[in-house]
Parts: sequence; structure tokens; C-alpha cells
Amino acid sequence: MGHFHHFDTLALHAGQTVDDEFGARATPIYQTTSYVFPDTDTASSIFNLERGGHAYSRITNPTVAVLEQRIAALEGGSAAVCTSSGMAATFCAITAILSQGDHIVASSQMYGGNISLMKNTLPRFGITTTFVDPADIEGFRAAIQDNTRLIYGELIGNPGLDILDLDAIGAISKEHHIPFMVDATFNTPYLCRCLDHGANITIHSVTKWMGGHGVAIGGVIVDGGNFDWGATDRYPTITEPYAPFSGLNLWDEFGPSAFAMRIRAEAMRDIGPSMSPMNAFLLLQGLETLSLRMNKHLSNTKMLLEFLSNHEQVSWVSHPDLPSHRSHKLAQKYLPKGAGSIISFGVKGGRDAGKAFIENVGLASHLANVGDAKTLVIHPATTTHSRIDAEALIAAGITEDMVRLSVGLEDVRDIEADFENGFRAAKKFVGD
Amino acid sequence: MYFDINGKRVFATTGGKPFDNSKPVVLFLSGSALDHTFWALHARFFAFRNYSVLVPDFPGHTNSEGPNLTSIESMADWIHEVVEVLGARNISVVGHSQGCLVALEYVSHHPEKVRSVSFIGSGLATPVNAALIEAAEKDPAAAVAMMNSWGFGEAGHKHQGAVPGNSMVAGGMKTMARNAPAGLTADLKACDAYQNGKAAAEKLRCPKQIILGGKDRMTPRKAGVEFAMHLGNTETHVIDSSGHMVPLEAPNECRKLLRDFIFANNPAT
Repeated sequence: MGHFHHFDTLALHAGQTVDDEFGARATPIYQTTSYVFPDTDTASSIFNLERGGHAYSRITNPTVAVLEQRIAALEGGSAAVCTSSGMAATFCAITAILSQGDHIVASSQMYGGNISLMKNTLPRFGITTTFVDPADIEGFRAAIQDNTRLIYGELIGNPGLDILDLDAIGAISKEHHIPFMVDATFNTPYLCRCLDHGANITIHSVTKWMGGHGVAIGGVIVDGGNFDWGATDRYPTITEPYAPFSGLNLWDEFGPSAFAMRIRAEAMRDIGPSMSPMNAFLLLQGLETLSLRMNKHLSNTKMLLEFLSNHEQVSWVSHPDLPSHRSHKLAQKYLPKGAGSIISFGVKGGRDAGKAFIENVGLASHLANVGDAKTLVIHPATTTHSRIDAEALIAAGITEDMVRLSVGLEDVRDIEADFENGFRAAKKFVGD
Repeated sequence: MYFDINGKRVFATTGGKPFDNSKPVVLFLSGSALDHTFWALHARFFAFRNYSVLVPDFPGHTNSEGPNLTSIESMADWIHEVVEVLGARNISVVGHSQGCLVALEYVSHHPEKVRSVSFIGSGLATPVNAALIEAAEKDPAAAVAMMNSWGFGEAGHKHQGAVPGNSMVAGGMKTMARNAPAGLTADLKACDAYQNGKAAAEKLRCPKQIILGGKDRMTPRKAGVEFAMHLGNTETHVIDSSGHMVPLEAPNECRKLLRDFIFANNPAT
């Protein structure tokens, strides 16, 4: 077997060539909108996709390209395109291949933004979605229609933490020749490479664990290079001539990276949700230590699961690493290192107790994010998932007493001490 | 575009412009288990400079119907049929790795069709490690990994791409995996069995060019230099930073060398 660099090495080195002139070891921040062409032939070659290179930072940027190539390497994808946010990545990835009249089959247990996009926004453009319980594998098959062009889910569903059976759904996607797109934000490629389990495209909010520091918003689309777009005539945006590039046929010309090339040629050019070079630099700094941080996230999660499970004021705890979780077996299969660092739990005393808990922790921050180095808590029913209706709330597994905890990297003894303050304040609501 | 050879469907990309046999032609020949996508940027470059470009997938590879061809000689004969069916002439042949052996055979038999030939990453022969052939048959994923590990130099191993955001090594592995095990095995056996390089090289009279990767572990520089000696009167270039996959690893340097050579020896109006 040939030798390839391993995960930790790729996280530090993939995508970067040390620059010839100054030898900068860190990836330089190319904070520029545009690039001086040495001659007209080079300029026209770059515009016409005859040579790689940079013309305008909305389309490509050298700092962003390092991040893209690094994430592609970590995921095992053929190409990646970074975007201004995770939601931009999701929108661009979907609309690169779906048009008016097309249909999505999606997991019902996803981040509220994803659900809202599919339930409220995409229908305005004639793209509809059928939501399916992520545990109902046959439900995915049954929901496929003649016009279904995409199967979509999150490996670790947000916030109920149900694990998607990638191999099973990947098999359905293969059988029906429909690409399988997975939002892999909660797992990162360190915990699971979804492309190795039947996914064709992965999406990440790199704002979260990939960056890890909570200082930069960003997203990425990874092209698995493992879907045969040319096998049917269902994906004309990939397989038919593209007029803005002199009739370029992306599938014919670029094969395994045709999907990413479509994003680059259309979404980044015509819509423009580009990542800033500064954000790419910041995210690269975080990505360098992904495995170290994830291991600490997981060890803290393990200890907090024990703490919460044994706490008298906790009515329930949900995490796929717990045998009581309905996805426990799937978690062991797809996430053997650990099923991420999000814990959901209920505080005895219901909604008011949950509120008191959140308002009385101090080390843990009450905010709408996950995957930060710092411990975060939030009440999903009134915040992240507040814009979805009651029916979808139930489908997403959200209860009024639910607290979502994103376990940080602090000393776990300090997190536990902080939580005791919250529980003390919540105690007065018990028995009301 | 698709066309038929002996009743079998053949795919060739033309670099984004329709094939026009009245123009000088640049014919790209791919290496083992690779396909037309290997040449994407180079094909577009020549197609948009008034050349007709032809990058066929060999039988059984990616978009072309099988069966796979089992010898370099039969591949060269098949290329001749492609050229005849399409009425191509004034051809600049560009081969990479196994494609160079096919180019040697084809050009030595049909010199009247050819204006120049460029060999990238090749010697007179390509003996293949027996373990690699066995892996191609029994464990194609391992064989693909070996070939890409040995084939790519530093840029490949760091997942850089000819196009920003693309990983050339991942693209190479996915393309080869698509053509394994049958195409890969047939190609490796054909390379290993080919013995006619020296005789074919000595017949070539058209302008010749060799481009080598300075860090090529599959075709060491010594083999390339020996190849140049047998070809005689050949311009030889070494791109120091590149491994075996020169057109991907050093696309700009490679394109410049091809451009200068083909523009000079087979000019398009």
C-alpha cells in the first residue's frame, strides 16, 4: 500500500505550498480583491478555465483555497468550495443541482435553519421537501418521487442527536441514482468521514468545531467525486453545456470535481457568498488542532454525561453514546471515537427551571452557537428552533424543558461547579 | 462527443469546442486507468487556440465501451482507427506514461499523420512491479492507492490542485477507481509486456519532446534520458518539482512547454 499523509498531518499541511519569496510558514492572508495578470493570454486562460489561478476573490482566493484543499483532504473529497456561512453552503449546494419542480427527501431532525430553508424558502423557488424521521429508513425510500433529485440529512441530528444510518440511506440513494448530501458539521471528518459511507457531498458549518474558536463564520461544500452525474439526464446543470463558459460541459471536462466546479462557476460567480481571506486564515488556525480539540471535547463530554446522568435535578439526558439513546448502535458504528460533544438534557421543573438554569450558569455561555472551545448552553424551543412550527418541533425531538449543551474545552470540574450553580437556582421550581 | 469504432461506443472530449478535422489536431493519450479528465485544462487551452482537440477514453475506460485492450500495439491500432474515423490529420500527439508507449507505437506506424509528438513521464518501456499487477486484480483499492502514492509528488500528497479548491490526488484516485479492476489490470499488463519501445523510437522522424518530472518515482529521470538518447534529436525538459503526474502537478510549466513546442511545429492559423 502506498503511503499517504495521515489525518493530523493533513490538518497541518494539506493545501499549502510554502511561498517561494518569503518562506512564510503560516498560510499568508491574501487580503486582496483581485490579482494582476502577467499578460492577456494568462488572463483569458484563467477566465476560460484553461488554467488554475485567481482572478477575483469572490470566485477564488489563495488563502481560501488552502482551507478548501485542506478540508477536501480531510474529508476524502475531490474538491471543496468554501462559502460565507454553513447556510450559504447548503443553499448553494442544493441549488447547484435542483431547479423548479424538483424535490428533496430530508431528515426531519436537522438544524432549524436547514428545516426553514427547505420548508419555507426553497418552495418559493419551486423546490419542495418531504421530511422523514431519520430512523425510518424505509420512509426515505417511500418518500422518493419521480422528481426527487436529492436526499439530505445530518449525521448527528440537531438537536435530538439521532444518528443517520449512512450506509442504509447511501444504498437507497445509489439504488435510485439520487445524490446523498450530508451536513457533517456535528461530527467533523475526525469523527466520521461520511463520504466513506455512501454520502456523495458533505456540507459543514466550519464556524463550529472545524474552526473551534467562535471567531469566524464560514461554510464548506465538499464534492465526494463519487457520484455518476452522467448516468441519467436528471442533472443537466452538471451534464449539459453551460452557456456562460462557452458551452462548457462540466461533467465531461472535470469528472470527479464537476459538482464543485458548478458551485464555483455559478454560485460563487452569480450569487457570491464568498468566504473572506481573514476568516479562512482564522479557520485554518483552528483546523490545525482539530483532532486534539475533538479528543478533549469527547473526554469532557464523557465526564459530563456521567455527571448529568447521576444528577438528581436532571430528568433526562440524551446523547448517542448513552445506551439509552435510540441511535446508540449507529453511534458505535459510525462514531466509534465518540458521538460528538452536544448533550441534550431536561432540567426537573420544566420550562421555568430550564430558564433558571441557563440564567444562573456563568462559565457556560448562553448563546446561539455550538462547537466553540467554550461551553455553551441554549434553550432550543425559544431560540434556534423557534421559527419552526409545533409539529416540526416535535418531529425534531425538541421538548420545552430541553437544554442543549455544547461541551467546551474547560477543565470539566469547573463546568460541573458552574452547572451546580444553575441547578441550585432551578431547584425552587421542582415540585411546582 | 461520442462516436463508434467497430460498433463500440467511444467517448472523447474535445476541450469545449466542436471537433473540426480541417484544423490541426492535438491528440492527448492518457496513462493507465486514467481518462479524459486528466487533461481538462490542457485540452481547453488548445481547443480555444484554434486547434481541434481529441482526448479519447480508451475502450473500457470511463465513458467508452469495452472490452479493454490488452496490448500497447492494439491500443495504437485503435488510436489509428479513431484518427481515421474522425478524419484527423496534422496531429500533435501528447502522451503521458502509458499513453507515451501508445504514442510511440502509433507514430512509428503512421508518421504521415503526425506533425509532432510530446512524451510526458515515460521511458522506452514501463516494466510494472508484479505485486502491483496482482493487487490490481485482487485488491484494486490497494493498487489505486499505490499508483497514486508513487505517482504524485509533494503537491499531490498535499492535496493541491491545478484548479483552486481541487485535490489532484483525490481526483486521480477516484478516476482510477472507476476504471479498476478491469481497465487498470489490462493497462498494467499491457505496459509490462511492451518490448518494442527501442525499435519504435528509432523510427520516429517528426519533432519530438520529452517532459520529465524531477521527482518522478515511476519513471526515473535516468529512464527518460535513455529514452531521449534512442529518440535522437529530442528536446528534453525536466520540471524539478514534479512527480510522475506532470500535467496535473506542474500544469503551467507543462502547458508552456507543450504550447511552445506545438505552436512551433504544428501551427494553427
